Amino acid sequence: MEIFSEHFNKDNFLSKIDVKVKLLVVLSLLVMVLSCTKIFFPILIAMGCFLLCLKMKIAPRVLLLRMAQPLFFALVILLLKLFFSGKDTMFSISLPTSDFSLLTLTGHRDGLIEGLKITSRILGGVSLVMAFGFATPFAEILAGLSWLRLPKQFIEITMFAYRYIFMFLEDAHTIYNAQKNRLGYSGMRKGMKSFGTLAGSLVIRGFDQSQKTSEAMIQRGYTGDMPMIDGRPLRFGEVFFAAIFVFFAGAVWMI
Amino acid sequence: MKNEKSSRISRDKILLLVTCYLSLVTDAHAMHISEGILPFNWAALWFAVALPFVAYGLYRLKKLSAVDLSFKPLVGLMAAIVFVISCMPIPVPTAGTCSHPGGTAIPAILVGPSISVLVTAVALLIQALFLAHGGLSTWGADIVSMGVMGAFTGFAVFRLLRRFNLSLAVSGFFAGILSDWAIYLTTSVQLASGIRGDEPFTPLFTKIVIAFVPTQLPLGILEGAMTAGMVVLLYKKRPDLLVKMKVLKPEEAI
Repeated sequence: MEIFSEHFNKDNFLSKIDVKVKLLVVLSLLVMVLSCTKIFFPILIAMGCFLLCLKMKIAPRVLLLRMAQPLFFALVILLLKLFFSGKDTMFSISLPTSDFSLLTLTGHRDGLIEGLKITSRILGGVSLVMAFGFATPFAEILAGLSWLRLPKQFIEITMFAYRYIFMFLEDAHTIYNAQKNRLGYSGMRKGMKSFGTLAGSLVIRGFDQSQKTSEAMIQRGYTGDMPMIDGRPLRFGEVFFAAIFVFFAGAVWMI
Repeated sequence: MKNEKSSRISRDKILLLVTCYLSLVTDAHAMHISEGILPFNWAALWFAVALPFVAYGLYRLKKLSAVDLSFKPLVGLMAAIVFVISCMPIPVPTAGTCSHPGGTAIPAILVGPSISVLVTAVALLIQALFLAHGGLSTWGADIVSMGVMGAFTGFAVFRLLRRFNLSLAVSGFFAGILSDWAIYLTTSVQLASGIRGDEPFTPLFTKIVIAFVPTQLPLGILEGAMTAGMVVLLYKKRPDLLVKMKVLKPEEAI
């Protein structure tokens, strides 16, 4: 899972900023991107975030891989909007069909503009969260979310989940390779059975591991609650610069 | 009138072709709504819809973990498993590509739908932050489609079929299929309502449903097979776990 952000170096200029400040800036910009009715602002945010990611030495290939799913969605929506919504005709294409007749596909200007607006929102939003993910270790993000009053129990189970994801990924990989070597995926029927066995094995492993983990934790004084990182208090300088940055972004958003 | 009808059919044909092509050139992760797709008001609405389900899940978690200290780690580990399963690429023959199962029927059957909403919410948060699958602004919408609709449908179908004395494998299979298709339909409703602008809802909804048919229809069947396989394996290897999770009565676990 090489595109997982935790595998990247988190020692950069953005990682030194308090996670609470980063969270507030990201959420403010996200609200602006989502409520923006123009294309320019989200694209500007996307470009800024890409540059930040490159500055954090994230390989462009990784960024493109990460963007694959959102781009797929964006493309589908753009085509849907271009060809199937709007009234102002821009162009028509005639395509031959299997029964030798011609199909006419009409692109609409207003549909295209609407599609581009959604596409720009996707690019802006995804790149914001992506840059935040690359700049912040997961434990700090959880501390930030806890500061934003996300329920403590939710944070706790997220911490448990995150702790064991890598172990299960490795287990799943090992089981999958073993199944593949024994031709477990050589046919549709076999493949489905193998996949079910893989899921079942992970569930059994999960149950057993949860028992072991809780026993080990109880031995170390676990009473049902986990301590959270308190984090340092907010620094005036960071908050001040963040507020100025958000204010200027708001001004650009209003243009 | 006839012309209008034939033009509508032609449009749908073209849409299907375009979708097939897009499915061929990229992996499909059709379950998650990506960051930024929903405008602010729709994103906020889906958060409001998801909130009571998450709150009830947390209430149940608090109650159950007070009795059994291993319950919280179990829920966390279940979330990790859902995360891993939903990252596993499985081939979709009709689209000629790989897709990813939702995996929500499994926790719904084992720990119940209300806890399953939490399990899904955790998996979705980690995916949104680190893999760009889903998003922070669409977290609420994704919780509603995958956590609420997927889990409650899977759970209800499984329990209903078990009540009619159908086998674990058959009940698990249909729970998996219908859970997957419920997610797919809810996602289509969310997408259509979020991106329609001034257009009417129903035509766009129909187009989105058609657009994801090549991946989601076979994927549902694969997810059903996976869920059935998982339940059968648990029955064969660890029936005690099924009894503990109240999936089986003690006398059934021989």
